[in-house]
Amino acid sequence: MYGSASTHDLPTTAVTGLENEDPILLAEFEARIARGEKIEPGDWMPALYRKQLTRMIEQHAHSEIIGSLPEGTWITRAPGFRRKMAQMAKVQDEVGHAQLLYSAAETLGKTREQMLTDLINGKSKYSNVFNYPTPTWADSNVISWLIDAGAIVNQLANAKGSYGPYCRALDRICAEEAFHLKYGHDAVVHMATGTPIQREMMQAALNRWWPAIMTFFGPSDKMSVHTEILMRWKVKMASNDECRNQFLDMYVPKIWEIGLTLPDANLRKNEETGQWEFTEPDWEDFKRVINGDGPCNAERIAVRRAAEENGAWVRRALLTPKTQYVRPLA
Amino acid sequence: MIQSHDPRMNRLGLPDAPAPAVAKEALDQFGTYEVFHQKKEGAPFVYVGPVHAPEADVAFLFAKEQFSRRFACTGLWVVPTAAITLTDYVGDTESAYDTLPLLAKSSAAPAPDSRYTDDTAGEEAAYAAGEEDYDIFHLKKRGKAHQHVGKVRASSPADALQVAKAVFGEQRPVVNVWAARSADILRSDDEDRDIWTTTPEKKYRDAISYKVQDRIEKFKAENQ
Amino acid sequence: MDPKLDLLYRLADDQLILGHRNSEWNGLGPILEEDIAFSSMAQDKLGHSLALYTLLHELGEAEPDTVAFTRNAPQFHCCQLVELPIGEYDFSLTRHFLFDHAELLRFEALATSSYEPLAQVARKLRGELKYHALHANTWMKRLGTATEEAIERMQNALNFTLPYALGIFEKTEAEAEIISSGLFIGEDELRSRWLESITKVLSQTALEVPDILALTPVAGGRYGQHTEHLQPLLDEMAEVFRLDPTADW
Repeated sequence: MYGSASTHDLPTTAVTGLENEDPILLAEFEARIARGEKIEPGDWMPALYRKQLTRMIEQHAHSEIIGSLPEGTWITRAPGFRRKMAQMAKVQDEVGHAQLLYSAAETLGKTREQMLTDLINGKSKYSNVFNYPTPTWADSNVISWLIDAGAIVNQLANAKGSYGPYCRALDRICAEEAFHLKYGHDAVVHMATGTPIQREMMQAALNRWWPAIMTFFGPSDKMSVHTEILMRWKVKMASNDECRNQFLDMYVPKIWEIGLTLPDANLRKNEETGQWEFTEPDWEDFKRVINGDGPCNAERIAVRRAAEENGAWVRRALLTPKTQYVRPLA
Repeated sequence: MIQSHDPRMNRLGLPDAPAPAVAKEALDQFGTYEVFHQKKEGAPFVYVGPVHAPEADVAFLFAKEQFSRRFACTGLWVVPTAAITLTDYVGDTESAYDTLPLLAKSSAAPAPDSRYTDDTAGEEAAYAAGEEDYDIFHLKKRGKAHQHVGKVRASSPADALQVAKAVFGEQRPVVNVWAARSADILRSDDEDRDIWTTTPEKKYRDAISYKVQDRIEKFKAENQ
Repeated sequence: MDPKLDLLYRLADDQLILGHRNSEWNGLGPILEEDIAFSSMAQDKLGHSLALYTLLHELGEAEPDTVAFTRNAPQFHCCQLVELPIGEYDFSLTRHFLFDHAELLRFEALATSSYEPLAQVARKLRGELKYHALHANTWMKRLGTATEEAIERMQNALNFTLPYALGIFEKTEAEAEIISSGLFIGEDELRSRWLESITKVLSQTALEVPDILALTPVAGGRYGQHTEHLQPLLDEMAEVFRLDPTADW
């Protein structure tokens, strides 16, 4: 569901580490990307490319598996058959997306087991929005619609990136996200145009989630670390501000048209520049939450850890020396 | 205990204090299997991704729901990753077959193109001599998926690539080739195709079943 | 109760409650791929219950959502097996194995029911249920022949679950009419087919199978007598729905 830019974990070593690379191989690698060809697992690639991609795809995978939890919170309480079955299918898709993305990251050399271990040991980041709770059904709907909408903006951009296995995973994921987006919109519209109780629930949820949504694409480009080389290598495909502006352009009118309001008096589109203006999100708070001090950080990790630990006997039982782990091919 | 908004988590009883870091000595993950999907009868099997599984039968169970829970499907193959032999990857306009070692003309082995014929007697002799069937998959463009192109008979995986070059080498571009011993592929039975009968009818999983524009228009009309 | 309604309510309630229970695993499964597979089967069960409640609606009962989300435990006809909490994976898999064998055989028999709309539903679900049984059998055989730890867990789960599973076949007052009218083969016949079918799989494991027919079934569910777990489950399931029963969610 979720792109990775929001983790605010951009490289700090972006322009180091190339001096040890073979200049001829590096030139061929860059030429291939410049030609628009994808990089595949068997190709030579700079260590920095491998490292950054591994980190990015891994974080994206974590964001899916952790991202299944806020909506999973309502899986046993979704109202009516239609919502109940769709909510199950959506949560299932998030787990499925994690599986696809871990697989793509594995082709770069890090095992899925290691990634999951790093996640439950708090060594890896995931999209920060999932450190916030979903206290009502309407909060779950807001995620289904707007967080997934944000993710699609990110993922459609990333699907044009340079790494073949990641693109293949994203193509599949984007196709499934179409369901998420429509389902989420459908649920929000039903609430917003429904009874007074529903309407009030939805407005309250939107008010709670809006600040987090505004941070979804990560800090402003003005504040971001230098990412030129990652853009050239088509690892990072669109700037945070571009993504955020595109998202606002597409979704704010859809929010307004169903009579909902947004809790930012400064939010408006500047028709001259085509850019949205808004109150700058509280990036200090963002940093505090991403570093562990959010309302749900402890719970999210504890749940994942419980799932791993409770399932350990099953994996032990099925382990056989006949099928040794090897890196997936593509 | 962590108090969650999720009743399931409250039933799990999650400890408040973070547990000490997990130190893992050995891998407890399974091998991987590569999965190929057929969307309709007669269509080639197309690579869709891997699953982690201890054995092929479990891999099939997993693959079925991870890769064919939406839309029509008429068949699924799973192959242990380790059982696939592959060529180097080449550019989008080239052929990976060109990277294979050239066979010496004086080689004692029969010329590759004579090896896939309808000569039943010769075929039996070849199998008796240890040759086996291999399934061959081509990647036509980087970033796209490998597709099944056919079978060859060969004495080893390396040989299978050579035979594939003789049989399918005219096709271009071929960015990458996979060869898998046919005996290593677990294939769904034709008689079990009904496991996918209801898949396309699960509309609640599809974007198209969520149409909300009428409701929006009605709301707008009433609130002007 | 009318025999058709009697039969349909039992079937639909079983499917709804077990589908709901199994959905609790989503996101918490032991292996990512298994998490996905188990969720699909839970969704299928919800789908089956919806199809059956729709038949009930056609026979004059309330809308499926109303029937599913507004009744209380005493009005439910599910067996007690399906309402038990998910426990650990050994129990959930064992329940899945024992229930889904009965389900597969039940729908096979229903494919020739004298009540054609039900027969149609049963025929359509055949392939879906085939996968469920394949999944259950594969897991039972794998874990039932794996490590000492796994075998012990599965044995304990089996011993605990079997008496509840026998409750699947609890008869109601409509039983004689259900059989005589050709609606269904009846619970005794189903139970003997089930016994044969599960024994065949269990005999391929290291698990010891007790004399199942000598066990005392945990019954009562078909008459609205339930464990302490069902009402909280229903309250949870309907928490949002009941906030405003007039609302369109």
